[in-house]
Amino acid sequence: MKKHIYNTTILNGYTMKRELMDILCCPMCKSDLSLDVTDENEEEIVTGTLYCAKCDEHYPIEDGIPNLLPPDMRD
Amino acid sequence: MAKLCFAGFPKMKEIYYNTSAGEYDSARTGKVRVHSQVYEPAADTYLLMETALKEVSSTDTVIEIGTGCGIIARELAKTAETVVAADINPYAVRCARANGVANVVRADLFSGIRGRYSLIVFNPPYIPIQESEKHDEWIECAWDGGPSGADVINRFLEQAKEHMTVNGRILLLISTITGVERVMERIGGLGMKAEEIASSRVPYERLTVLRSKAP
Repeated sequence: MKKHIYNTTILNGYTMKRELMDILCCPMCKSDLSLDVTDENEEEIVTGTLYCAKCDEHYPIEDGIPNLLPPDMRD
Repeated sequence: MAKLCFAGFPKMKEIYYNTSAGEYDSARTGKVRVHSQVYEPAADTYLLMETALKEVSSTDTVIEIGTGCGIIARELAKTAETVVAADINPYAVRCARANGVANVVRADLFSGIRGRYSLIVFNPPYIPIQESEKHDEWIECAWDGGPSGADVINRFLEQAKEHMTVNGRILLLISTITGVERVMERIGGLGMKAEEIASSRVPYERLTVLRSKAP
């Protein structure tokens, strides 16, 4: 499995999806999130995780959709 | 909440629409697929879409909160520079993606979203719903405005103010069920000014689109 680590603050919107990552932050503390991609195609990130180091919380990206709901609101 | 079961879009309905409420124009028609747990476009959707399409320009950076099936975001993306669509409903965000909206985020209003936008669009839940009237279905997010009917609108307005560019506008759909005056007062209380820019009478209510700006 291909795996890359990016910091969202250094992404400059090369594709729509990268651009989207740029406007996301932790829903609880508004800190920057780091992006861990597990699957991507030429256009966008399909599956991955956004991580807030301050809250030690992960936010999943599934089917190209980042889920920024706090854990207690997800289900 | 109901367990998520979305594989293969089991309960999808196809909706044909026209972006103009007036004369038929084949260039202005479209089709969206709407899941049974997502609000099906109705008079409120079409009024806001038509108004937003008149308002949007090619330099606009747009965010639509509560995008539902994504019909408005998709149409705005044909004109605007960028469009981001957000919804709290897991079925809605998948629907919006399936309907061709590129930038979709699952979020509660603006939480988890940063940046300022020149055009903010929201068709809010506005029906007063008591705790005993809830059924624990995701689609209820589309109409459940809390006990007052304006609970979500009020939370939205406070957050939206922090996400507007200097000359940014908010287009907010309001019904007489919630009370237009009440919402306009709230907007005024937040230091913005609001004006009615479109309205339409439908059974049991009058729908209005309010445009809010910094004074």
